[in-house]
Amino acid sequence: MKFNVISPKTKTDLLKAMKNETYFRFGAGYTDLIPEMKKMEDIGYSIINLAQLNDQTFRNIKRGQDVIRIGTLATAAQIVNDEFIAENFPVLHQAANCLASSQIRQVATVGGNLCTASPSGDISCALVSIQAQCEILSESGNLRLIPIADFFIGPRKTSMKNNEILRSVIVPINVKHHEVHSGFLKVGTRRSMECSVVSLAYHILTDKKAIIHKAGIAIGAVAPTIRYAEEAGNFLLGKNISSIHPDDSELFANEVLKYASPISDLRASAWYRSEVLFNISKSILE
Amino acid sequence: MSNEKMTEKLKVIGKPQPKIDAGIRITGKAVYGQDIKLPYMLYGAILRSEHPYSGFSIDVSEAKKLEGVVCVITADDVDCNNISYRKDHPILKKGEVNCLRDEIAAVAAESKEIAVQALKLIKVNYKPGHGIYDPFEALKPEARIINKYLKDTGQGKNISHKFLYEHGNLDEEKRKSKEIVSNRFVLPRVTHCCLATSNITADFSPVTKRLTLYSSTQVPFLYQRDMAHALKINPSDIRVVQVVIGGGFGSKLDMYPFEPIAAILSMKTCRPVQIIFDREEEFIASPTRQAMVMDIEAGIDKNGRFTFREANIVIDNGAYTSWGATTPFVMMQTFSSLYHVPACRFESKAVYTNNVYAGSFRGYGNPQATFALESTIDLLAEKLGMSKTEMRLINANFKGETSGQGLTYYTCGHKEALEMVIDKSKNQNSEFGIRNEKRFLFGTGYASMLHVGGGAKIYRSDGCGTRVNLDDYGHLTIITGSTEIGQGSETVLAMLASEELSIPISKIKVINTDTDVKPWDVGVHASRTTFVAGNSLLGAISKLKIKLIKKAAEILQCTIDELIFVNEEIKSEHKNNSVRIEKVVREIHFSQPNELCTENFFYEPSSEFQDKDYKGNVSGAYAFAAQAVKVEVDTYTGNVKVLDVYVAQDVGKVLNPMGLTGQIEGGVLMGVGYGISEELMVENGRILNPNFHNYKMLTASDVPNIHFYPIETNDSQGPYGAKGMAEAPLIPTAAAIANAVADAIQARIYSLPVTPEKILKALKEKNIKHK
Ligand SMILES: Cc1cc2nc3c(=O)[nH]c(=O)nc-3n(C[C@H](O)[C@H](O)[C@H](O)COP(=O)(O)OP(=O)(O)OC[C@H]3O[C@@H](n4cnc5c(N)ncnc54)[C@H](O)[C@@H]3O)c2cc1C
Repeated sequence: MKFNVISPKTKTDLLKAMKNETYFRFGAGYTDLIPEMKKMEDIGYSIINLAQLNDQTFRNIKRGQDVIRIGTLATAAQIVNDEFIAENFPVLHQAANCLASSQIRQVATVGGNLCTASPSGDISCALVSIQAQCEILSESGNLRLIPIADFFIGPRKTSMKNNEILRSVIVPINVKHHEVHSGFLKVGTRRSMECSVVSLAYHILTDKKAIIHKAGIAIGAVAPTIRYAEEAGNFLLGKNISSIHPDDSELFANEVLKYASPISDLRASAWYRSEVLFNISKSILE
Repeated sequence: MSNEKMTEKLKVIGKPQPKIDAGIRITGKAVYGQDIKLPYMLYGAILRSEHPYSGFSIDVSEAKKLEGVVCVITADDVDCNNISYRKDHPILKKGEVNCLRDEIAAVAAESKEIAVQALKLIKVNYKPGHGIYDPFEALKPEARIINKYLKDTGQGKNISHKFLYEHGNLDEEKRKSKEIVSNRFVLPRVTHCCLATSNITADFSPVTKRLTLYSSTQVPFLYQRDMAHALKINPSDIRVVQVVIGGGFGSKLDMYPFEPIAAILSMKTCRPVQIIFDREEEFIASPTRQAMVMDIEAGIDKNGRFTFREANIVIDNGAYTSWGATTPFVMMQTFSSLYHVPACRFESKAVYTNNVYAGSFRGYGNPQATFALESTIDLLAEKLGMSKTEMRLINANFKGETSGQGLTYYTCGHKEALEMVIDKSKNQNSEFGIRNEKRFLFGTGYASMLHVGGGAKIYRSDGCGTRVNLDDYGHLTIITGSTEIGQGSETVLAMLASEELSIPISKIKVINTDTDVKPWDVGVHASRTTFVAGNSLLGAISKLKIKLIKKAAEILQCTIDELIFVNEEIKSEHKNNSVRIEKVVREIHFSQPNELCTENFFYEPSSEFQDKDYKGNVSGAYAFAAQAVKVEVDTYTGNVKVLDVYVAQDVGKVLNPMGLTGQIEGGVLMGVGYGISEELMVENGRILNPNFHNYKMLTASDVPNIHFYPIETNDSQGPYGAKGMAEAPLIPTAAAIANAVADAIQARIYSLPVTPEKILKALKEKNIKHK
């Protein structure tokens, strides 16, 4: 297997490489890319290796006034170790923490997870539930910001163009809320090194009286892309989180299920996926 | 002798001893097959069929033209005998392929990349046909003959090996039965997942005409014989050098085509040739545990005593036969002799299909048999309304029992093992029952097992040879016929020698990897190595001690019987004087009549061959175990969390507690995988999950709490009383898990693995019935 590798150190070098190369792919932690390349007869493109890029905007997790900016090269381990995220976005913390295994988490990046656009991407699913925005840089240096919901357009397809790179993910901090009810549920056979068979990300904010005023629900591995279950979230608005009627839990679970169009594959049947999605959706309100 | 020893205070035996090869393994110094590099070595690669069943023609001319390719072979280029004990397996296939693994060409090239490139240049014209993938289909009268190489065995079309066994009066026992249950159990294919993939380096010398094989075989002497037969050469011209083996678990009991292929490539090129599987090839081309369908009927009388068992088993043999087709030897023992049972009928057929073929795997049929039997016992208990533990206890095997099949239990810890796990699992509550009761259900399941613990007489000899040598500096070299495959047998041998001679382990070497050097042994299987190689070593050492003591008595001017070995000395207990062992050795060596301090011994266990009806005392000792498993079942997802596994096992005597615990924990985890997650999925002859991503081998985070209680019955036949123990911990685990899940959800899963999906379905069906 022969291919060319370019390792830019600065943003300028990076943009130059993007301009110069006709066919290229970015490599960050390589945990998706290498398995993909192994299946190919001939690679036919260069690798722009991001691992040596020194630009901190690409690497850091930085908290501002009302957003957190997560660099595309931030690793799953970096997310797990970030205390602010652990406290305010348990959904993201938990998703990063159940990705693969400790070893893989040291190298797997947030950007790689998003750009692979797998329907079972765990970090991606969490980011969808908290309605992050994607900051995309073009080879000419222009930046554009798009809602994450518009980022995934199909299985393994994103709305990024060939001459663009994901620079960071921007997560709004909601300062008004009182309590967060937030978490990530991943269903699979093994407790680590597992790819989600069904996943559910939820990030629910309540006021002092436990009334829900914001609810982000995202589901993974049950549709061609990760889906934001908007109506399911809306269903919860105005309800008191500490006294949700079991009938409402089931109605909520049915709302979530409307966003699913699961398939049967090696890992589970469509029937199983629907059944479990319904059950775990209901469980978050119990 | 060993009983006497037990009353003494032991210094080494029973004390935890890290494996003597641990250092080289953890520092990367161990030489695995993957590490072998010989001068002028070529890299081999094998072209396998793209279709499970197809006619084909092949053209290798383009591959031969590629620069760096030294040799390309197809069936037309070789003159070989078929392999496998049924001689039904051609090394390279001609004109027709019968399973996805089938080797149709092989290449030797200057680099791995070139070899792989060359395979792509081989043109194969396939004419795919309709394969037969269901053994029941293959048994139908109109089915075509799948394996054309098998000589007629008179056992029926498409049957590789049939077993029929009976004892007692079945009809009478059926009449006596208060309750009878009858069920079908379905068992999956699972595979060994050795960390080191299959490998071989063959080095034929055109000068000496001898062939050296750097191999991971676990049966070097049978391998030498099989290889010689395949290649039509003399076994003595083959030297087998065993590399450090990165996992065996039974997978290296047979010789497979890639091994003679490497040898042929080396003989043709007169250069060393290495073949190493990548992980996908390992999944596709390694043997599996037998997938099978078991119909079991069993009865019980009004007092809860077992009356009879009837087992009808159809095994998917795959396209060719391996030793795995003889697993019914072991399965029938479980049906005939685990718990006392007055009557038993057992019939099994290993049936050819166009699936990948099965092989042997730790437990050798016993995990399958135990799952079906122990599930059946729970069902009988439920039907009779008797406690599941009580029923097991009153039917347990006992010391002095001769089973219907003729197995005689001179020692037997079955009941003790059962009592232990019943008691411990009752008293200890880990996370049990503390979570949301609506969502999580908890259950406990029990299972026992019986396995050979003193070898198994299935070859003409079940023996092992040992040579010991004490050098002039008091260091001992043990040259044993037995093989280390990671199980820790060389450490146990060193411990036995250390105990006997009072020489520290650091001064003991174990040599065990070279058929040019080591004496004969039948191989590692049937949990036999500690028992057989241990006894063999003790035999050699006892001869050595006599020699030493005679000389020491001369030196110390005392009688032989007052001498003991202590602290590297031979000491007179009466006179309180002593001489260092190394000095005695030097006296033997350098003074008249000038001898070496070397002894040989060959140990053959007292076991007997079974007769043509499979009756007889086939092993020198029998191992018993019981396990209790606690599970938590998530009714929302169907996930099973195995919380605790209580293991009580009759090991005869604990020799190395550290090695023993390692075997128990590893075995249990393998059993948990068999129970809840592992399955090599095959559809129309194709393997759907040849990778760790979708083949769900468990990881460190899935390990349950394992509570181990060794039971010492001090078998007089065993070295220091020990029995074989290494297959046992895996055997009852899946059965106990399935019973625990049934206990939790009040519905039974009749197949393995017990997956989340099967559980949700069972729960759903149960709820529908209740509504
Ligand atoms: C054993 C194993 C277990 C796994 N388990 C999980 C799991 O549990 N959950 C889960 O979600 N995933 C899992 N994965 C998948 C993978 O680890 C994650 O998706 C990871 O986040 C990918 O990050 P990476 O840095 O390795 O990506 P890479 O492999 O480097 O890149 C992935 C893709 O994204 C592109 N890319 C990377 N960065 C950028 C960028 N800045 N701009 C544009 N394109 C970019 C690359 O070109 C490539 O196409 C597993 C993978 C393995 C091998």
